[in-house]
Formats: sequence, C-alpha cells, structure tokens
Amino acid sequence: MRKAAIVGIGHTVFGNLSDYDLVDVMSFASTNALDDAGIRENRKIIDQVLVANMGGGIINHQTGIASSLVSRIDLEPAMAELVENGPASGASAVKLGYSLIASGMADVVMVTGGELMRAVTGWVATDFVATLLHPEAEYNYGITLPGFGGIFTRMYMERYGLTEEELSLVAVKDHENGSKNPWAHVETICTIEGICNSPDAKVVNNMVADPLRMYHMCPVSDGAATVILCALDSPKMKYFKEKEPILLNGIGSATDTHCLHHRKDPLELTAVRLSAERAYKMAGLKPEDISFAELHDAFIILELAISEEVGFFKRGKAREAIVKGITRINGSLPINTSGGLKAKGHPLGATGVSQIYELVKQLRGEAEKGRQVKNPKHGLSVNFGGFGNNVVTTICSKE
Amino acid sequence: MDIDFSQYEPFKPVVYAVKCPKCGTLDYPAPMICKNCGERRDPSGAIFSAWEKVPLDGKCKLLGWTKLYALPEGIEKKYLLFGVVEFENGLRAIGRLLVEEPKTGMELVSTAGLVREIPGEDVAGFIFDIAG
Amino acid sequence: MIIDEMEKKLRPPEIALKPYPAKMITLANGEVMVVREVHRNEAAVLLETISPLIGVKKDFYDIVAARMYAEVLGWHLYRVANEFVLVGAINGEIVGLVTSRCVDENIGMSLHTLTVKRGLRIGAQLFAAKMEHHLELLEQKEVWIVAESPNGFKRFLIEYELDSAEDRYPGVQHELGGVPTCILTRTLYDAVREQKVTGTRPVPAEILGTADVLKAPGEYPQIPGYKRSRK
Repeated sequence: MRKAAIVGIGHTVFGNLSDYDLVDVMSFASTNALDDAGIRENRKIIDQVLVANMGGGIINHQTGIASSLVSRIDLEPAMAELVENGPASGASAVKLGYSLIASGMADVVMVTGGELMRAVTGWVATDFVATLLHPEAEYNYGITLPGFGGIFTRMYMERYGLTEEELSLVAVKDHENGSKNPWAHVETICTIEGICNSPDAKVVNNMVADPLRMYHMCPVSDGAATVILCALDSPKMKYFKEKEPILLNGIGSATDTHCLHHRKDPLELTAVRLSAERAYKMAGLKPEDISFAELHDAFIILELAISEEVGFFKRGKAREAIVKGITRINGSLPINTSGGLKAKGHPLGATGVSQIYELVKQLRGEAEKGRQVKNPKHGLSVNFGGFGNNVVTTICSKE
Repeated sequence: MDIDFSQYEPFKPVVYAVKCPKCGTLDYPAPMICKNCGERRDPSGAIFSAWEKVPLDGKCKLLGWTKLYALPEGIEKKYLLFGVVEFENGLRAIGRLLVEEPKTGMELVSTAGLVREIPGEDVAGFIFDIAG
Repeated sequence: MIIDEMEKKLRPPEIALKPYPAKMITLANGEVMVVREVHRNEAAVLLETISPLIGVKKDFYDIVAARMYAEVLGWHLYRVANEFVLVGAINGEIVGLVTSRCVDENIGMSLHTLTVKRGLRIGAQLFAAKMEHHLELLEQKEVWIVAESPNGFKRFLIEYELDSAEDRYPGVQHELGGVPTCILTRTLYDAVREQKVTGTRPVPAEILGTADVLKAPGEYPQIPGYKRSRK
C-alpha cells in the first residue's frame, strides 16, 4: 500500500466566529495550510479536496460546501467531496483522503474540517447535535449528547470509584494546555479549587448533566483545521521542501451500535478499541510506542475511558494516571496537549482534523512554549462520533 | 381498501418492541433485520412481514441515569431526568425518569406516556417511576 | 454642594436603600471576584468601563452597554430613583456590573447585566447577586425582569423558572420598554438559591481592599486589539 505524509497544516482560532461565513472560515484554515506547505503559488497540484462538516446544511443553510471551498481558494479543477460522519467527520475525511492516495486515485489531498455552530443559540446547537441519536428511541425523549455523557460518567464512577475531584483534574490539565495554545477557544486556566473544592464551586461550576458539570464538558465552538497529504512516492513530494513530512502511519475506524442501550456493557467503547487495533496494526506499533495522544474529550470522562480502550491503561486505571500527572505535558504520556476538546473547543467537523494538526505540530517540534512534548516519535488521536458508534483512530509518526 | 382507522383515534401512548416471526427474538427499537437469524422486516408489510408488535412496559431495573439541564430547543424545562433500564425480558431502553433521587439498580415500573410534542405529532415513550 | 431649588424639583424622591454587603466568589480559574455596591461618586470608572462596548453589535453588547451607560448616568445625576449598581472586580479591575432599581418597597425593577470578562459565568453570579440584594437584603417581594438577548431570555425564563407578569398584572409594562415581563418572586428565588447564589461574607480586609479603587478594564475580549490608553 502507498504511504502518505502530512506535508501542510492549517488552523483557525476556535471560538465564536459567527460573524464569518462557514466557507470563509474553512478557506482561512486551508490557506494557512497552503502557506505552511509552501504551495500557495503551486496550489493546483492538489488533486482532491475533502471537506468534513456536520451542520452546514442544517445550521448554516449551506450545501455543496466542498465545491464552494474549492472555488473560494481557487483550486479548480480539483476533485471535491463532503464527508459527514457526525463529530468524527474530520478524521473520517483524513482516512478517506489517505484511501484515495493508497488507491492511486490522488497524490495530493487537502482535508479541511470546519463548523460554524455559534450562528445559532446553544439550545438549537444542542438539538442539532442530538439529531445523530436514534430518532425514536433516543432523540424523541429530549435527551442530548451531554445526557449520554452524564449517564456514562455515573456508571464509570460507580464501577471504578472515580471521584469528582479526580475527574476535574482532567479539566485542569486540559485548560492548562489550552491556555498555551493560541487557537484554543478557552483561554483561561481552571483550578481544582475553583471548579471543585471552593465553597463557590457548585455554583460557579454548575451542573449540566449530573454528575457532569460545566467544566467537565467542551464548549460549543466554531473553527476549522486543515491537513494536506501527499503520497510519499509521488513526484509531487518535490514541492514540499519547507517542512518535515510527518508520516500518516496508521488509521482505522470502527462502528458500534447506534443505541447505547444495545451495548452489553455500555462502559466498553468497542469501536474505540477496534479502531485503535486497526491503526496500531497498520502502523506496526503498540500502545507503549505512543509518545502522546489527542483523545476526544467532549466530556472529560471520555479522555479517561478512551485512554483505557486504546491500551494506555487498564480499565478503571486512567484515574491513577491523571492523579499522578502521567498525562500532563511533562508526564510520561501527555494527553490532549492542545487543550483537547475541553479547552481548545469542539467545532464538530473540524475536531478530527484539528487533532491530527496537533499530532503534526508536536512531531515537528513546533508546539508553543510550555506545551511541547519532549522528542515525540509517535502521536495517536481518537475522533469519537455519536456516542462512540463511529470512531477513527489515527497514528502519525516522525519518518 | 384497508384503512387504518386507529390513526384517527385519540392519542394513546404505547411503545412497542417487535418480535421476529422466524426465531421469536424481541428487539427495541424495531430493526430492519433480525440480529439473531437475519430475517427481514418490512414496515409496510407489503413485501416482507411487518413483524408482530409487542407492547413493552412493566417492571424494569435502573442501570444508569442523569439529571440533564442541557436540553434541546423545543423543551422548555429547567431539567429532565433520564434513565437506562433493563426490562424483565432482557430488553433495554432509555426513557424519562420521574424519580427525583434515583439510585442505580433500583426497581422501577415503565409505562408509556407522552414524552414530546412535536408540532402535529404527540410522541409516546417510556416513563419510568417507582412501582405503585 | 448646595443644591438649588430647581435641581431639587428635578430629583425624584428616594427610598433609603440598605447597603449591599460585599462578598467574594472564587471563580473557576481560582481568581477571587469581589462583588460590591458602587457609590454614586464612582460613576466615572463605570462609564469608562461601559463605553467601549457601545460599539459592539455582537451578542447585544451595544444595546445593553448604551442603556446601561444612561442608567449609570441617570443614577449619578439623580434622575432615577432608588437605583443601585453592583460590580464584580478582580484585583480591583471591573469584570462585570449590574444595574437595578426599586419601584417601591415591594417591587424591584431589574435593569441590566453586563459582563466584560467572559467564560467564567461572571454575569450569572452578578445577576444572582442583584436578585439577592432585592429579595434578601432589601426584603422586596418580587423583581420584574426582561431580557434583551435570546440567551438572557431563555436563561431567566428557564433557569429561574420565572412567572409571567401578564398573569398577575394584565397589561404590565417593564420600564425598559414594556416587553413581556417576567417576575422572580421570593418563593421562586428560594427554590433556585442554592444553585444560583454563592459568595462568602465578610470579605477579609486585604481582599476587600483590592476593590477599594476600581479600575476600568485595560482590554476587552469583545474588542480584539483594544488597549485602553492610560493617562
């Protein structure tokens, strides 16, 4: 199978970009990636554009977004398609981009993920995300994704004895990393005193989906991110001389039941485990080879649960890692060095691409001061769609 | 012409599981293929069987729950409680929970009730409460 | 200052309002916000804080800031009766403020809430402090509330489960323009107090002292690139 490298990356700030147009936001990240790759002038070498987006049609009343993006940044006649796979759209688009390279249909693929959710109120955005649930057995009840986060968190706490304070440490770590990431939605740190232990914590950090509080979940964000892939054996690699190519070493995805209640053990995130196994197999790596990871912590319990499913820790033991600081930036296995979805933000379609952007940034050694992992070799990201019913794991490596 | 006159009757909340006509496996919500034997279901009943509907209610056990404040547009409530339960027949479902201070593992009774009013449509769903 | 006869005629009669005792709230980022009442002679720093936001259309800052500017001015110049202003300050810098007034001994008229520093639920804490002042400290029976943004409207209506004023006072018009008015009664307030109202009193002198002299914010997240020129 052909190998592909990531040769350019771009990002916008995550946050409230509701004054801007969705495709303009995507264009900004895309153009940043063209510049990063050093191919703004030679941009027509791009064979294929893939756009990851979940809500353009519903929220922004825009369709045909991939064609629109191509035209907005003058990439015609590149091939272009939209990939919608819920909150995992981003990494799915990268996976499909890689597949096109592996099959020989394309040599250079630009993948841009973007979302503009702040154009509507939080309630409408929450409703829109909930449309990915089963319409009859879940959505109709008025339950939303935070509701599933709450149910999952309680089950995890009851089984493994995780405390609210231990859980809150994930948020403290993510905010610390996010505060050093110029693209992050949330710029402020949070402290264990402020969100958990002070007499004001229960009000300041209000309950959202018991036992999950506001600082246990990601904000609603706008933003976009881009990666450019090139086949390593392609003559077009000659255009990418400015930056060190980062190998897209392994990528795999898997699905699980649409309804959470169909899972024999709702705490087992089977699609995470299987997608990771597929990615490890493709890369020829094991969990212990991974230097750092970006895990889909839309609800911070997921950082712990996913880190166990991908083999970093035994089930129920991720709490020890967060308490001991193993997953902090200077720990032995830093997780969510970008701030994660929790602090960097979660513009659905952008998230998976943004996670891979972060892997590249770290592997190149370009992360900002205070959040650069020491000499990383392999980075892993997990982009989690639905409530774990469609998951993509990606591994990037220094060549 | 067979007209389904029940559609003009007043709203009577009921939630159904379906039963595979070939192997008898129950499932909720209705699948399009039996997980156990692969039999097809045809909601129209025109080409394949529409499968027997079996009302799903009665005793159940609470497996997990949340009190949710992040509700979607269209539900003007401060919060709602939701639970995942397992029925005596082994089927599981999510539904509204009326118990204000739930405990995981508690015994509940499920009845069908109005869970959402979408313009032009009353939606029936599971409502879980303490027996009696 | 001696007040001339005409000025006396122009000033509305006032009810002497009990002072709001300062409190402190530890925010999620660990910073301590002092919430305290502002004195009429501190109007300048409030106007200085509010004014840059008058030009910010996003999230209804323009209408809230413009109206609040007038409310502070009206209060400072004795043109509004029984008004009070509370601020939230971190290390003396204003991070948010609320305006309100008492119609009479029983009815409070909530005016505006403005948050400068965002993402820490400062607006929610200051709005709650305003309700605390009306209902607990001034011992009023109810507060009339309207919202000028969809978020505010849903937040008040749903989170505080407010009554509609129309049921009790048909045709009632809130002072801010007569839009449909909601009412927070003491009973409704008590039902949500635990989740909404927080803070520690008394504030230790060394912390309270940080808010003795209020400062206008140097930067505004709502106005990228804004830097206040210091005299």
